[in-house]
Formats: sequence, C-alpha cells, structure tokens
Amino acid sequence: MEKTYSNKAIILSLALPGIITFIFAILAPIFLSGYYSTTNFSGLGDFDFIGLKNFQELMGDKTFWIALRNSLLLAAGFIIIQHPLAIMMAALLDRLSGRAEGFFRSVYFLPNVISVVIIAYLWKFIYNPNFGLLNNIDKIFGGKGDTNWLGSGNAIWSVLIVLIWHGFGWGMLIYYTGIKNIDPVLYEAAAIDGASNRAAFLRITLPLMKPVIQVNVTLAIITALKQMETVYLLTNGGPGNETQFMANYLYKQAFSSFRYGYGNAISVVFIIICILATQVLSVIFRERKEGKV
Amino acid sequence: MIDIVKQKRNFPIGKLLMWIMLIAVAVIQIFPLIWLLDFSVASSNEMFTNGLLIIPKIFHFDNYVKAFVDGNFLLYLKNSLLINILAVILVLIISIMMSFACTRMKWKLSSTVRNIILLGMMIPIHATLLPNYVIYDNLKLTDTIWALLIPYVAFSLPQGLFLISSFMQSIPREIEEAAIMDGCGIYRIIILIITPMLKTSLVTVSIMTFLNNWNEFMMASTYLNSDKWRTLPFAVLKFTGLYSSNYAVQFAVMALTAAPMVLIYIILSKHITKGVAMGAVKG
Repeated sequence: MEKTYSNKAIILSLALPGIITFIFAILAPIFLSGYYSTTNFSGLGDFDFIGLKNFQELMGDKTFWIALRNSLLLAAGFIIIQHPLAIMMAALLDRLSGRAEGFFRSVYFLPNVISVVIIAYLWKFIYNPNFGLLNNIDKIFGGKGDTNWLGSGNAIWSVLIVLIWHGFGWGMLIYYTGIKNIDPVLYEAAAIDGASNRAAFLRITLPLMKPVIQVNVTLAIITALKQMETVYLLTNGGPGNETQFMANYLYKQAFSSFRYGYGNAISVVFIIICILATQVLSVIFRERKEGKV
Repeated sequence: MIDIVKQKRNFPIGKLLMWIMLIAVAVIQIFPLIWLLDFSVASSNEMFTNGLLIIPKIFHFDNYVKAFVDGNFLLYLKNSLLINILAVILVLIISIMMSFACTRMKWKLSSTVRNIILLGMMIPIHATLLPNYVIYDNLKLTDTIWALLIPYVAFSLPQGLFLISSFMQSIPREIEEAAIMDGCGIYRIIILIITPMLKTSLVTVSIMTFLNNWNEFMMASTYLNSDKWRTLPFAVLKFTGLYSSNYAVQFAVMALTAAPMVLIYIILSKHITKGVAMGAVKG
C-alpha cells in the first residue's frame, strides 16, 4: 500500500497539470513583470534597463498615493457602511422563515450575478445628469436635480456607492450563514432570562460572529485593493485621477500612456501590497484570538 | 423555537420596523434593475421625464430585437457558455487530481506545492494583465479560446484546490485502502470512489468558478481583438459604441445580457447562495 501511495509516476501525473497551469498563468507572469519593471519599455520597439528608477518614480507619484487612498476609502466604506448593515439584515432574515426568507435573500444577492459591465453602465445612466434616476429622485424631494454625480468632487463617492451597493448581498450572505450556525438554544436561554432582542444581538450574535466578521473584513480590504472593473467602466479613474485605483492605473500607464515598464512596476508593488495586507490582517486577527482565550 | 425570543412588549413596533427595513433594503437592491427593465421597453424620447418610471405609450420590444440581432447575442452567448463550462470542468478535474496528490499521496513537497498554489488566492488577477498580454502575444495565443481559458482556470484553481482538498481530508481512508488491497489502481480510486464522495464541494467549486468567470471582462477585452471568442459582457460594450445615442436599445442590450445568468440564478438560487456562502467562509 505504501508503494502505491508513493509511486512517483502517479504523483507526477496527478500534480503536474495543476503545477503547469499555475506556473504558466500566474508565476511566470509575475517574474516577467519583475523583469519589465526595471525597463523603460513602451510596449513597442527597443528598451533599456533603468534599474529601480521606475520604483523611485512610483514613490513620488501622486496618482499612486491617490489610488491607495481610494482603496482605503473603499475598504472603510465596506467596513463602516456595508458590513454593519449586512450583519443587521442577516440577523433580521434569520427571524423570517419559509418563502419570505428565501425571497429577501434572493433579492439581496441578485445584483451579484449580474456582470460588472452591466452594473457599471446601469449606474452611469442612474448618475446621468439629464435623465438619470438619481436626479429625478432629487427633483421629487424638491431639489434642483442637476447634480453632476460623476463630476469632480462627487465622483469618488459615486463610485463608492456603486461598489458598496453591488457587494452588499455577498457580504450579507456570509453573515447570514454565520448566524444560522449559532445554536438557537442560546437565544432561548437569553429570552428566559428576560433579555431584549437588542441585548441578544449584542451579547450573543455579535460575539459569536467574530470569526466570520474577521474573514469578511479581510475579504473587504482585499476586494477594495483589487478593485478595477467597475472603476474602469464607470470613470476610468477620472475626472483627472480622482477615482484612480491601482489596477486601473497600471493598465492606463501601459496601454494608454505607453509606459509598459512603469505599468509593470506598479503591478509588482500592487502584488506586494496585496500579499502584505493579507498577512498583516491574519497576524492581527490571530493575536486577538489568542489574547482572548 | 425562536419565537420565544420575540418579546410581546415591543412586538408590534418592532415587527413593523423589521419589515420596513427588510423592504427598504430590498427596494434599494432591486429598483435599479426594475428601472433598467422599464427603460428598455421605452423609446429614447420618453426618457427625459421627471418621474421615476416611464409608462411607455407603446412597448418597444423591437429594442430587444435590435439588441439580439445587431448585438450578435447568440455568438457571445455561445462563447460565454463554452468557455465557462470548459473552465469549470478543467478546474474540477485539475483540483481533484491535485487534491489527491497533496492529501493522500506521499511525497516530500506535497504541502509546499499546495501552499504555493494557495498563495495564488492573494495575487490580484489584474496584476498579471500586462505580462500575460506579452506572453500570449508572443505565443500567438491572443484571440484564441486559450487566452481566456488558461487564466480563468489558473485563477480559479487555488480556491478549488483549497475547498476540495479540505473536504477530501475529512473523507475516511478505509474504503480506498480496501480497494487498493483488492488491486484497484489510484486513477480508478479517484474516479470511482473519491469523486462521488466529493459532491458537495464540487458543486461549491463549480458555482464559484462559474460566477467569477462568467462576468469577467478585463481579460476578455485585453487578450481578444476580434469577435470570434468574445463573451457576453463584451456585447454591452460594443453596443454602447454602435448605438451611442439610442439609449433605449442600450438598456435592452443590458437587460438581455444579464438575462441568462439571472435565469440560471432564479432556477438554482438555493444552490448558488449555499455554494457561495460555503466557498466564501472557507476561502
């Protein structure tokens, strides 16, 4: 039996397809990115090696810091607005049953199955200054209804709203699953002791949901860092670079400004930031867990 | 059972507030989509109203005909279905094989290899857009089905490996060990014994892979430059260029493009929400 389990040929045949796919599509591109990040390649023709100049420039690049700030803003938006609402709605859903529960759960999740392209274009129309839904709502409430939602100053908030709206169902679903896993006996005991709904939510639901909240917060921050498609389609980082995000910025540098080398330098820093963020968060949450036990 | 929790003291107001909240959030989540459907059957002239919804004088279903025909809808739908189904199948096969190699087979690097591939979950997919473009360009893979299939499979693989291998670890080894005693080979064990037992995790992985890749757009727009393999999200983009002033038709093409996935979602709603919850909590 030992022999069968350590047969080299079989192991190789099982593991190789996955390893090759991974190397070809993920690992090799990252190394190639590292290589191009030290050049001044424009995307066409010859290029020179310029060492770490691209990275030096990046550190002083205002847009890069704006992109990072926007990611943090988005993460904050997720954590401060989307998640508390998602937990609350998940707790409310938990009290429903049967058809009503299924209906609301499906409705909340629905935007998630629709392509980002459609979501982005739909919201472009919603924000449209001439016939957009938002300005029409504004008029009903007695406003002028002439706000340029994607204009300077407003744009970043408009982008955040779309992203918070679109991801809501996903977050809610995870919280809902977490709440469903809580033993109902705890709530019964609390009720017998005369605890109110709010007390039960604060003392039972929230503490027991801690691991789920930690996973969700980590996911939110990573999602905020990785954001690209909605921004690309909604504003392409504009006006100016007000709504720029890292992924969109590297794309723009490579394919619009023809600075392929510089774009790759952003890619490399981008990957490092994402891995670093995941590691830091997992360390923070691990320590907390141990501290409490 | 949980009814006891609901206190009689604040019963009516509390319950009313709860329903108001539930309905308010539902309206926020779904109204933009209703608005989309409403405008898609109007004519462009009717759009400049002050009301929220339009009651069109004539229902312009011809908007949909235009979207269907000029938007090349069937071609894009066929491409989307083909690429995504192939991607799901490949992710499943490769993940099962790798999971077995990493959790059952005995070799030195098994956990190292698994951990490196799991690291792939942290890599932002868009950071590989630039180098992959150069690679595919040099290998003459741009504008072929491979340009989408390879990255779709590769980026779904870490999660597939994670979910399936953790599930596999919980399967007792006795059955397969008995099979080996009887002279059954590893490949047959994987196909006949292990795979059927993995059913729940396979459903989860399929749903996550399908959902992530179906709506993917950046790679499709970067690695392809003709219609041959373009997927559904692209239909919208192309159309807005063609009919830049005819808003109503643009709304129709958006509704039409969203339809297949919404339909799948309505039919499989329970499995999808369950699958996503399982996948996300563990991933």
